[in-house]
Amino acid sequence: MLSLIVFLPLAVAVVVAAVPSLGAAAARWAWVAVSAVELVLVGVLWAGYEDPGPNGLAFEEQVPWIPGVGSSYHVGVDGLSLPLVAMTAVVFLACAVYALRDGERPRAQTALFLFLQGVSLGVFVAADLIVFFVFFDLSIVGMYFVIAGWGHGNAARSALKFFLYTFLGSLALLLGFIGLYVASDPHTFDILELVAATPLEDNPLAGGLVLAAILVGLAVKTPTVPFHTWLPPAHTDAPATGSAVLAGVLLKMGTYGFVRIAMPILPEAWRGWAWVIVVVGIVSVLYGAFVALAQTNLKRMIAYTSVNHMGYIILALGAVGLIAGDTAQARSVAVTGAVVQMVSHGLITAALFLLAGVMRTRAGTYDMGAYGGLATPAPRFAALFAIAAFASLGLPGLSGFIAEFQIFAGSIAVAPVTAIALPGILITAALFLLALQRVFTGPTQGQSPGFADLHGRELWSVGPLLALSLLIGVLPQVLLGVIEPASAALVDLVGR
Amino acid sequence: MTALLTLPAAGEFEMADINYVAIAPMIVVFAAAVLGVLVEAFAPRRLRYPIQVGLAVLALVIAFAALVLPDADSVTGTTVAGTLAVDGPSRFLSGVLLALGLVGLLVMAERFGGEGPDAFTPMGAATPGSAIESAAARAGLATTEVFPLALFSLGGMMMFTSANDLLSMFVALEVLSLPLYILTGLARRRRLLSQEAALKYFLLGAFSSAFFLFGAGLIYGYAGSIRIPAIGEAAAASSGDLEPLLLPGVAMLLVGLLFKVGAVPFHSWTPDVYQGAPSPVTGFMAACTKIAAFGALLRLVYVGLESTRWEWRPGVVVIAALTMIVGAVLSVTQTDIKRLLAYSSVAHAGFILVGLLAFDITAVGGVMFYLVAYGASTIAAFALVNMVRENGAEATHLSQWAGLGRRHPWVAAAMTLLLLAFAGIPLTSGFTAKVAAFMPAVAHGGLSGVLLVVIGVLASAVTAFVYVKVIVLMYFTAPSGDVGLAQPALLSVVAIAVGVVLTVLLGVVPGPLLDLAAQSSTFVR
Amino acid sequence: MNPYIPLGILLALGFGFALLSVGTSLVVGPARANVAKAQAYECGIQPTPQAPEGGRFPVKYYLTAMLFVIFDIEALFLYPFAVAFDQLGLFTLMAVVLFLLNSFFVADAYVWRRGGFEWD
Repeated sequence: MLSLIVFLPLAVAVVVAAVPSLGAAAARWAWVAVSAVELVLVGVLWAGYEDPGPNGLAFEEQVPWIPGVGSSYHVGVDGLSLPLVAMTAVVFLACAVYALRDGERPRAQTALFLFLQGVSLGVFVAADLIVFFVFFDLSIVGMYFVIAGWGHGNAARSALKFFLYTFLGSLALLLGFIGLYVASDPHTFDILELVAATPLEDNPLAGGLVLAAILVGLAVKTPTVPFHTWLPPAHTDAPATGSAVLAGVLLKMGTYGFVRIAMPILPEAWRGWAWVIVVVGIVSVLYGAFVALAQTNLKRMIAYTSVNHMGYIILALGAVGLIAGDTAQARSVAVTGAVVQMVSHGLITAALFLLAGVMRTRAGTYDMGAYGGLATPAPRFAALFAIAAFASLGLPGLSGFIAEFQIFAGSIAVAPVTAIALPGILITAALFLLALQRVFTGPTQGQSPGFADLHGRELWSVGPLLALSLLIGVLPQVLLGVIEPASAALVDLVGR
Repeated sequence: MTALLTLPAAGEFEMADINYVAIAPMIVVFAAAVLGVLVEAFAPRRLRYPIQVGLAVLALVIAFAALVLPDADSVTGTTVAGTLAVDGPSRFLSGVLLALGLVGLLVMAERFGGEGPDAFTPMGAATPGSAIESAAARAGLATTEVFPLALFSLGGMMMFTSANDLLSMFVALEVLSLPLYILTGLARRRRLLSQEAALKYFLLGAFSSAFFLFGAGLIYGYAGSIRIPAIGEAAAASSGDLEPLLLPGVAMLLVGLLFKVGAVPFHSWTPDVYQGAPSPVTGFMAACTKIAAFGALLRLVYVGLESTRWEWRPGVVVIAALTMIVGAVLSVTQTDIKRLLAYSSVAHAGFILVGLLAFDITAVGGVMFYLVAYGASTIAAFALVNMVRENGAEATHLSQWAGLGRRHPWVAAAMTLLLLAFAGIPLTSGFTAKVAAFMPAVAHGGLSGVLLVVIGVLASAVTAFVYVKVIVLMYFTAPSGDVGLAQPALLSVVAIAVGVVLTVLLGVVPGPLLDLAAQSSTFVR
Repeated sequence: MNPYIPLGILLALGFGFALLSVGTSLVVGPARANVAKAQAYECGIQPTPQAPEGGRFPVKYYLTAMLFVIFDIEALFLYPFAVAFDQLGLFTLMAVVLFLLNSFFVADAYVWRRGGFEWD
């Protein structure tokens, strides 16, 4: 089942790439069809999901791959990964619908995005470090070509920057994985076995170094301050669908790596480094918010809010490592909040980037100063953008609130000092309101007159993303019911 | 006469024990090379090419059969009075050399359908640009000597991986090198560049051989033997009297071998020779020489010098680090695809050295796996370079590769895959190989091993940047000029297909070969 | 005594002799330059073709030199074989025959067929 979900898009990608006679429309619709099938498959997965218990996986599949080095093709989902798998399927379907009328090289674009979808899902279901790394690295390669091939502005340069940063990060990650492998006895790359064995527990120095390597690798991808500098240019110059996937899905690989690999396998080192991680989280939150506030380019602004939002996740996960008294419940809430934030941020930021893409196709600029009073010619656009902005700034009733509330409720209970990051929420609120005011209100001027409103495919790509965000905000139990047992299990693992 | 022949072999003279089955692959290759020279002498001109190609292919197939068919136990051991060691590593690497040598020969045999445009000059002795040269080209002459030369070289490489004493190692080094010097100078186009490359390669090669020989002399003085296992025993039992001989000797031996693998600071020949040599020869040289030289290096340091490694390992650690850094950094500025691949081969030599310096049995398997992965990709890459032409000449300048993805999607796709493999992207052989080489270094290399791996990781990021730049050039830059493919290129396509399939296969299902390499990593002593 | 001391003395003697002989000839020897001395050969053969700046070796000399090396190596290996021939037996005889076939017959056959023995 999981293998089908991972390899169906990859297989179709190969077919699409290998059949030159495939027309543009056929390629586009093939993409939509495959993404839809994927979503259905994930839905089936969700319906059949039962919590596998601590350090267990549902829908587990294991096939020997490289037995010589203790690596197998091992996949499975649990409460931490299933929501991300679902979110990935949704975001990719939205992108497929959005791209239905894009002009450039449709066949190659379809193949590339299907490839990206396959490897992204692969990262989230991987239960073996090598499998994880393989998909992790391939996602970088795929995204590189998306930015370089379909981007605008200084795309080649931004793509290269993205590639160099994240590839280097992935190599650091590989170094950490090799460290884990070498330290484990018997040598293995299997995540579940490593979690059970917790190698390096008796060796704080080596454990710290391995964790540092893994942290750097994941932090580059997440990204956190100070490894975030690749993100703004990459987003600014990437195509809308590329940005949506990059922010919505690829960034989650970093944070997901924390909860899947770094925390349960190296609990000792994680606890030792927890304060560093908390501080990095706080700095990311505040720095991302302040820099976003200063942006005039809408897409750059959204990109910096990603740094801010990812900072919340880091903050929560760092707080989980601060073992103090009887706070297990609070720490579990923080983990749940972090996972909800991953899902929520994926949906909302993908929507925001797709909407920004609409601005570019219509008027050719992301500069907020070039617009004004856009709500008059484009009411639907304005409405959707406003919903997305409110969701992003954490308005109750939308998914961002559920996530950030839980993150802070959990973190502050463990470490009151994390309240320093609270102004981050205020600043994000301010900057989104400012942006809304600059672009949508006032007299219709600049690029705004004649701005065609959203039409079918754009509406149908962005709308469902926000509807899901609303659904999570109103009925969080659907999601929380899946995540909470896994969060509790993770907290236990870190507390070992 | 009979009286003479029945003279007894008794007395002081002791016959060398020769396990003919064990050395049969080498004998076959050398015999075929000698036969090839006779073909050159006596076969009519028109028939030489088909005979040579057939002979070479047949010889390699027979040699491969002779290598794999006998039972491992029956051939394992030292033979020819202890001068050759037939064991796991030597058999594994000989098999790889034969297989990749066959692929390399196919590329050399490529004629693109016609009589003319193969990679080699019609008459090596003619002055470039002279009337004699054009007359030779008109007459449809061809340098079919490349096949026996390549076979001699290949035989030397196989011997190099098996050489169990310093003298036979030296002989093998010369046997593998001299034909390469000649092959380097035989390019059809840009002959002056080619001859310059050959001369440089020859002079520097001779220089490094002299180092090797001097080192062998000093080591003989130290250990009282040139047998590699005996050197190891002498070093382990050393009382320290002759210690001053050891380090200079080891250093000089290593200079000779590191020159062949192209390690910094002994790499300066690499870019010039890779660029000047005909592309099929470059591919053959890059893949097979590296395999052979690392095979010899493995045996020398793991069997002979392991017990003294604390004295010389730091120096080689520095060399490995420099090799990775210099190879990676200088590849950034290259504008010629062959020079770029040359610097990348320097960087790869550094990566392999990282694995080699781990001094663990798993490192032997890792290094050997790396050699296979790198060799297969490299031969295919140079076969591709050989096909991309502008006005009949090889289009090696990077600007000529712009937009190749739009005009020739399959060629660009194959090159992309190979470049991604060089960069070490997962699901290609390059990734598995890097993991296989770096893992022992982290596990057993101590602090310096970890540091080297960190440097290796940084260097691979730099080289990845270079490869990705080429890929972008091929796909996202508008084509310029009149760059096309030399066609039909059946043999090249076969060779490229083999390389590409191996690259993917070793990335997706590396298990079997990793296991085989791990099983074949025990040296006989 | 340190085993390196004799080595060092030998080295010093070697350098000293070289310096002494070159230096002496510079100081003592008559220096009467003429055209013939400046030429590549001093054995009387005019370098051909006569190039403006002193001429080049005809490549044929190299061919001859290489042929000589082939014969030379054969001779080199035949001496030790001949000395110990009575002890070496049939196997070694065959080995030497094979060696001669290879280096003498094959190499010379190639050179002969490719016109290497023709001076012009």
